[in-house]
Amino acid sequence: MSTAPDTLATDPRDRGGPAQSLLSINGLVKHFPVKGSGFFGRGGVVRAVDGVSFDIRKGETLGVVGESGCGKSTTARLLMHLIKPDHGEIIFDGEKVGIDLPLSEYRRQVQMVFQDSYASLNPRLTIEDSITFGPRIHGMAETAARAKAHDLLARVGLDPSRFAGRYPHELSGGQRQRVNIARALALDPRLLILDEAVSALDKSVEAQVLNLLQDLKADFGLTYMFISHDLNVVRFMVDRVMVMYLGTVAELGEGEAVFASPSHPYTAALLASMPKMDPSERTIEAPLTGDPPNPINPPSGCRFHPRCKLAEPVCATIQPSLTASAPGTSQAACLALVPQSGHTLAARLSLPVPDIESMLMPEASA
Amino acid sequence: MSNLVSIEGLTVTFTGRGKPVRAVDHVSLEVEKGSVLVLLGESGSGKSVTLRSLLRLHPEKTSKVSGRIIVDGHDIMALSKTGIGDVRGRTVSMIFQEPMLALDPVYTLGQQITETILRHENVTPEQAHARALELFEKVQIPSPERRLNAYPHEMSGGMRQRAMIALALACRPKVLLADEPTTALDATVQIQILLLLRALQRELGLSIVFVTHDIGVAVEIADKIAVMYAGRIVESGSVADILHTPRHPYTQGLLASRVERAKKGDRLKTIPGSPPDLTALPPGCAFAPRCDKTTAACREQVPSLVTGAYDHAVACIHA
Amino acid sequence: MSILQVSTSPVLTPIARSPGYWSGVVRRVSRDPVAMTALFVIVALILMAVFASSIAPADPFKSAMLRRLKPIGTPGFPLGADELGRDMLSRLIYGARLSLLMGLTPVPIAFIIGSALGITAGYVGGLTNTLIMRTIDVFYAFPSVLLAVALSGALGAGLTNALVSITLVFIPPIARVAESVTTQVRSLDYIDAARASGAGAFTIIRVHVLGNVLGPIFVYATGLVSVSMILASGLSFLGLGVRPPEPEWGLMLNTLRTAIYNQPLVAALPGAMIFITSIAFNVLADGLRTAMDVKS
Repeated sequence: MSTAPDTLATDPRDRGGPAQSLLSINGLVKHFPVKGSGFFGRGGVVRAVDGVSFDIRKGETLGVVGESGCGKSTTARLLMHLIKPDHGEIIFDGEKVGIDLPLSEYRRQVQMVFQDSYASLNPRLTIEDSITFGPRIHGMAETAARAKAHDLLARVGLDPSRFAGRYPHELSGGQRQRVNIARALALDPRLLILDEAVSALDKSVEAQVLNLLQDLKADFGLTYMFISHDLNVVRFMVDRVMVMYLGTVAELGEGEAVFASPSHPYTAALLASMPKMDPSERTIEAPLTGDPPNPINPPSGCRFHPRCKLAEPVCATIQPSLTASAPGTSQAACLALVPQSGHTLAARLSLPVPDIESMLMPEASA
Repeated sequence: MSNLVSIEGLTVTFTGRGKPVRAVDHVSLEVEKGSVLVLLGESGSGKSVTLRSLLRLHPEKTSKVSGRIIVDGHDIMALSKTGIGDVRGRTVSMIFQEPMLALDPVYTLGQQITETILRHENVTPEQAHARALELFEKVQIPSPERRLNAYPHEMSGGMRQRAMIALALACRPKVLLADEPTTALDATVQIQILLLLRALQRELGLSIVFVTHDIGVAVEIADKIAVMYAGRIVESGSVADILHTPRHPYTQGLLASRVERAKKGDRLKTIPGSPPDLTALPPGCAFAPRCDKTTAACREQVPSLVTGAYDHAVACIHA
Repeated sequence: MSILQVSTSPVLTPIARSPGYWSGVVRRVSRDPVAMTALFVIVALILMAVFASSIAPADPFKSAMLRRLKPIGTPGFPLGADELGRDMLSRLIYGARLSLLMGLTPVPIAFIIGSALGITAGYVGGLTNTLIMRTIDVFYAFPSVLLAVALSGALGAGLTNALVSITLVFIPPIARVAESVTTQVRSLDYIDAARASGAGAFTIIRVHVLGNVLGPIFVYATGLVSVSMILASGLSFLGLGVRPPEPEWGLMLNTLRTAIYNQPLVAALPGAMIFITSIAFNVLADGLRTAMDVKS
């Protein structure tokens, strides 16, 4: 059986104890140059991730939500060191990655599951060979690696005698995603980044995989970073949630607090955009108009202000930073929550924060 | 009769490479004038194949289609090639998940819409252009005059979807077929498109057949829902009936496994197994291998769709 | 094809192994009658070249002025005689040796060099890609025949130099195909997953890239065999490749061109051989492409 620890305390790799964050991200920045279109087109810069800082605590599930282009997948790839950040540091359990902690050692401890279950498996390798690849790279003997692969296949609910010798195209989407999870676990990681890992699955299969992820988390003492566009799944899965907008963090806080009373108007709009699951309470007005804007030339000040119903002139000039308006509430980057910010709502705000969602859309609650 | 679309015993078998695949198996359904029917199902349930049959879009060489499809008095299966060409766009038109595949990248959106109008109707180019502008306003594209001169790649995903809807409505069809048109969109844009479709449906008296895998989307837009599994309709009824009193074990399982209804950290109730392999369907009820109510009788005969009160129909001998 | 050798260990659960990708390709090709016909023709041509000395009815070098340009069907000369009275059938059989050598040698060498360049450019990307690909584009600017003639002319006439120049001509197109296929594979998630597991570039290319790109490049290269034969014939025709009196189809076509009005059928025979061989290779390449395309 696997050597995975049952509790965090018994993990010999643990350094700073449970109070120290497993992963600390400080001021992460990644800009991509874009080629100019046309003959005289000027090349711009996609500000994919533009100053993002957050922690992932040991044993928690941190959810990351936002529209396409908000930088959530780029953040995941930066954390995996699949692309190099322009600025910012990644600290894993107290050790700076690339300085105190060698990259190869870091990569054993952080693994990722991708959205496209087919593209993330080499079509020419059997399931078994795909899973043993990582351990073999790190010097595990072949027999041991194969035994581990079979054990992991059984743990993710696939009978090794039936599946180990198969090729990816012979499996269903849900089975392939189980294989991807087994492959990610083969290096005994402490942090698993799940980038839209269940988004492409059929709903009946999605539920199975979500259950599996919860079981594995408990069994292996894992920490998850759970990226998804589906707020309902995020609400179900996460302890804390980070809302991203155009490469910045809009809101960060306890999942239950954020979903029950969002502090940032963007979070409120995102929540209100989810289908209601009740034909008698259908959405009457779209919470946000237009498409998510292009991160090539993000708006000045608060990046959300052109789509925000609370926007005032001051929002176009000052970029708000994450602030908690009251103890126990989530942190949000919104001037309306910062006293003396110049926003008219900020002056009137008295603690605790009133329900912004209802202020946003008085018509929608009809 | 108020049924604009009526399908009877539709069966579609694909006979390309390898074993023949029966993608749709004796599907019968009706869509009333001015109502929205949602075909709900997982991958391989036959929902898109059913939809495409309404426009006879399957390649004739590799597919066998039987049954009767009547749309606004036209017998789709009996029409000639020119006959079906007249129905496409004018009586029935379709929008897709990926607008980039449906729109021609080398023409501006305005050119594509005017061209479509001119091909089907006897109007002047000026009239066609005016109509294109009106359509762009109707689908709520900001600064429509400017956007008519844009190429598809110059627009964002949501705007392209609106442009495709405008193109589909160019010849005032009576039935709009929608194949997962919001699946690739962000939730914030998805709700805008759903609201737009609902507004257009009310305003123009359209009938919409909407295919999706997402119950949430279905609840936002549907009047009636037909749940499909392995090429067959297993349950159909009003949104409220399907949502609040599902009778087929598959629908019940699907609803029970929704994360919306679960508390954080709970174990989700799940349907075991994976969606069926259409080349090797079991005899009898296709859901039997995944169902907890299965008895010997389930494995013998395919249960027929029995209609109960309020048009709530279910194909299960235990319901 | 994988580093992860299959060894049956008694501790492990015995597993049901699915047939591999290549056995599937072979199975599908073997069911394609057109491709199998082409393969049969190629094998027959190769056997003919190998066993030329035992098959050929006469000496391909023995000339006789009296028997010049005999028509097809002349007793003792089933395919007639050439402008020096040599037996055409024997010369065509012996000609297969040099012609196939000229057709087949440049392609595998160009395949290795071109794939190496293209895969490196595609996998590493960035500046390396720009350097390799722009250099290759310079060669690409010339029509292949012109380039082969120019290179051959610069290197001097002769068999080896002709082979070298044809090889050089084929490196750019193969590298281009290799680069585009590799760039495509490089962007897939399984490459990222392999990088995330800490594997180095060399291991990733060996395990995850090669298996997925060599197939398409191979198919493309198979199609080049016919081009190679035609180029080689062309060089011989221009006097830059094989020299008389060696039998080689391109050269034979050249020397017989004066006889085109007297004995058009005999004069066309070497051309027919070139045509048959190149068609066979093209058809086989098509068959392979179809067989490899199938997803499941």
